Amino acid sequence: DTWRYAFEEALTDVQGMYATKFKEEIEKNSDHELELFPYGTLGESADIMEQAQAGILQFVDQSPGFTGALIPEAQVFFVPYLLPNDPEQLNEFFRTSKAINEDFKELYAQHGLELLTMFPEGAVAMTTQEPVTSPADLDGVKVRVMTNPLLVETYKAFGATPTPLPWGEVYGGLQTNIIQGQENPAFFIESTKMYEVTDYITYAGHSNFTTAVMANKDFYDGLGEADQKVIQDATDVAFEYILDYQQGLDEDSIAKIKEAKPEMNVSVLTEEQRAPFKAAATQVEAKFIEMTGDSGKAILDQLKADLEAVTQ
Amino acid sequence: MAATIFLAMIILLLLGFPMMIPLIIGAFIGFYDLFNGVGKMDFMVQQFMAGIRPASLIAVPMFIFAADIMTRGHSANRLIDMVMSFVGHIKGGLAVSTATACTLFGAVSGSTQATVVAVGSPLRPRMLKAGYKDNFVLALIVNASDIAFLIPPSIGMIIYGVVSNTSISELFIAGIGPGLLILVLFSIYSMIYATIHNVPTEPKASWGERLGAVKQAVWPLGFPVIIVGGIYGGIFSPTEAAAVCVLYALILEVVVFRAISVKDVWDTAKSTGLITGVVFILVGAGAAFSWVISFARIPQEILSAVGVADMSAIGVLFVISIAFFVGCMFVDPIVVILILVPIFAPVVESVGLDPVLVGTIITLQVAIGSATPPFGCDIFTAMAVFKRPYIEVIRGTPPFVIILLAVAVALIFFPDIALFLRDLAFEK
Amino acid sequence: MADKPADNEHSSDLPGILGIIDSCISRLEAWGLALSVILMAVNTIANVIGRFAFGESLFFSEEVNRILIILITFAGIGYAARHGRHIRMSAIYDALPPSVRKVFMVVIAIISSLCLFALCYFSVLYIDKVASSGRVLPSLQIPVYWIYLWVPVGFFVTGVQYALTAVKNLMQKDIYLSTKVLEGYDDTEVEL
Ligand code: NA
Ligand code: NA
Repeated sequence: DTWRYAFEEALTDVQGMYATKFKEEIEKNSDHELELFPYGTLGESADIMEQAQAGILQFVDQSPGFTGALIPEAQVFFVPYLLPNDPEQLNEFFRTSKAINEDFKELYAQHGLELLTMFPEGAVAMTTQEPVTSPADLDGVKVRVMTNPLLVETYKAFGATPTPLPWGEVYGGLQTNIIQGQENPAFFIESTKMYEVTDYITYAGHSNFTTAVMANKDFYDGLGEADQKVIQDATDVAFEYILDYQQGLDEDSIAKIKEAKPEMNVSVLTEEQRAPFKAAATQVEAKFIEMTGDSGKAILDQLKADLEAVTQ
Repeated sequence: MAATIFLAMIILLLLGFPMMIPLIIGAFIGFYDLFNGVGKMDFMVQQFMAGIRPASLIAVPMFIFAADIMTRGHSANRLIDMVMSFVGHIKGGLAVSTATACTLFGAVSGSTQATVVAVGSPLRPRMLKAGYKDNFVLALIVNASDIAFLIPPSIGMIIYGVVSNTSISELFIAGIGPGLLILVLFSIYSMIYATIHNVPTEPKASWGERLGAVKQAVWPLGFPVIIVGGIYGGIFSPTEAAAVCVLYALILEVVVFRAISVKDVWDTAKSTGLITGVVFILVGAGAAFSWVISFARIPQEILSAVGVADMSAIGVLFVISIAFFVGCMFVDPIVVILILVPIFAPVVESVGLDPVLVGTIITLQVAIGSATPPFGCDIFTAMAVFKRPYIEVIRGTPPFVIILLAVAVALIFFPDIALFLRDLAFEK
Repeated sequence: MADKPADNEHSSDLPGILGIIDSCISRLEAWGLALSVILMAVNTIANVIGRFAFGESLFFSEEVNRILIILITFAGIGYAARHGRHIRMSAIYDALPPSVRKVFMVVIAIISSLCLFALCYFSVLYIDKVASSGRVLPSLQIPVYWIYLWVPVGFFVTGVQYALTAVKNLMQKDIYLSTKVLEGYDDTEVEL
């Protein structure tokens, strides 16, 4: 059969690399064909999600940040300073987390989706016009965020003026100074050319962009065991592939940025510099629990327990 | 399936159906064929919604609203009087001013549809009064508005830059050369047209008269200040500039000039909504249709049959030009860029083409496609705003399209038209 | 600016209660259009003022505009159909003799009407899907399907207008572009 898989980024970005590997594995180990639909070719994130739920698409990659409108608990990945910065610990967490592999699987299933995997796409960095070393430096700085209440809360807590702006207006907005900053993983800053219109890249270590791959549940359940195994194997192979691919991806992206724009300043905040950001983050966690209630708190607690296990 | 759809659409269009119906039926056929029945057709509605969702579209009704208030009141006429006091004595002066105004307004507003309305509404009646034929006026407005695609900020270039991993700053600079070249050629054509059709000139104004005209236009000169200063000064986005223009137009016309009443404002808002609905339903239907084309991978199939893989650099550029030109005849430009650019990317790299040049050529083709039949958003906008039949809006188009295509060919053979400024700015 | 008295604009040919309903819908559409456009301006300007003067964006501003643009589009299509303002390519059609044009106009109106009723039906199905998914607007936290409720109404009203246009062409001697407008572009030059 021909299966279809849509995702939120370009073919050469992390989601596209994952999808390409997944396609390779499926086509190698079965007679099925997989067609890939990158960003925008079938609609935006919410559109492709609906198409996957309706079975028009068999597979979809949607980041939990966007899934918040459907599954509020998925916004837990926007709680700052939750995920570890150490890549080994981070990878181990995504491999073993009960919250992801059991709790979220069930939440997604309630919406007609078989959660195949979640994986990190890279540490989120801020790009700004002026250096940032403390929340005071963000005072009055308009930082573009996705339209999401938790992100708005986060940047409020960090002292900035969060400014929700559609993605298409971000580049022009930075160029004309309507906004003075935005946040994204380094590979995305590189591929979307955001560095051309900002001068400072700052790693505050507050988050790692997480994404999730799902299959339509009716489609998945209707498959024979052999096909389900092909999909699970492809998921696992692509998962390990993408974790491996990300070793050094940040450095590569930063190197490319530096090559295109040598005067770009890149800094990683020290533990000491991070302390006030971390302190501010607690109010975001409270907001998350306020928004999602007991079920959100349960997920958060489970995530913390899972993290405890991998960081010891 | 592709052949059936295109044929059905062209026939329905020619028979005189409302323009949305061929698009809707095209999408119906596609969904029916792809999903073996009507089962998934509700997703057409999803795509209607997706089509009218982009926040940048909000600029369109806002600029329509502002332009209509200005045209009903005094602002637009005073601005035009001022310009005419300087260029009225030149053959084709008004036409050249119109082309320039379209280019500048389009450049800053970033919306070709908004340009058609905002520049076209006040200037079309003046050009008709001055003796230009309507089909020339309409074609000039529609085509000159499309130069905006090439001059930064350009959403088409941003999307291309992201999809093809090309510097957006370099693209922006590369678009300026061809954009200005087109403006110059349109201006020359306008002057030739005015000479051949013997469009009368006005007596040359004295400097005293010019000063008087400038004084009259002091308040309305606030509009360009708001738009250019506001956007480049980082105070607001193009969409917001449009809304601020509405506010300023209301203050001027209702309070300062007392040229229009509150009832007029209400009527203007109503007709703005009507025009917006007429155009946006086509944007929505176009999105539903584009989705079918994208889902069925029709472009990929057609292109794999062409066999671009073993062509020379020039050959590849020609195929790219044709593919985008044809694509934009039927499908929304942004979707065309999103689908086609990744398909061409490997070929572009293997023959060693400069992606900035390719991006400029693609943007130019997108501009041409939006102004050429059968489906073109700017044609629809002109029809809705000026209430003229389709055939009249496009009748004067051929000379402009020939100029645009000539520039496209020139770009292929003389890439420096685009790359000269880029190389200068980026020291390449 | 209107050439005819305002109450004429909404008058209906339909008999009795249907006529009253029809002219009420027309009024509602006109109100919805004007009010939405004005609200869109107010909302956008408020966001500028908020950000520029107080350093605070209205975080829901974008979503409000999204709601308004749907209202405008789907109130606009019905109103445009009523006044024969939907754009079409009439070159070949115009060259035909009147008797053929009349047949064409009836067929065009019927097919257009059927397409719009179909879309009305599909939009109800789509809204049902969105409603049952529980999706909410991220900033306003209201269910997404609420902002689509106007869509089937707009399609339905437009479909009815085209159906009535077919009926009118069958009943009357002249050729009608819409229930209110005789064919020929000069007729539509009247400001609405
Ligand atoms: Na532009
Ligand atoms: Na076109």
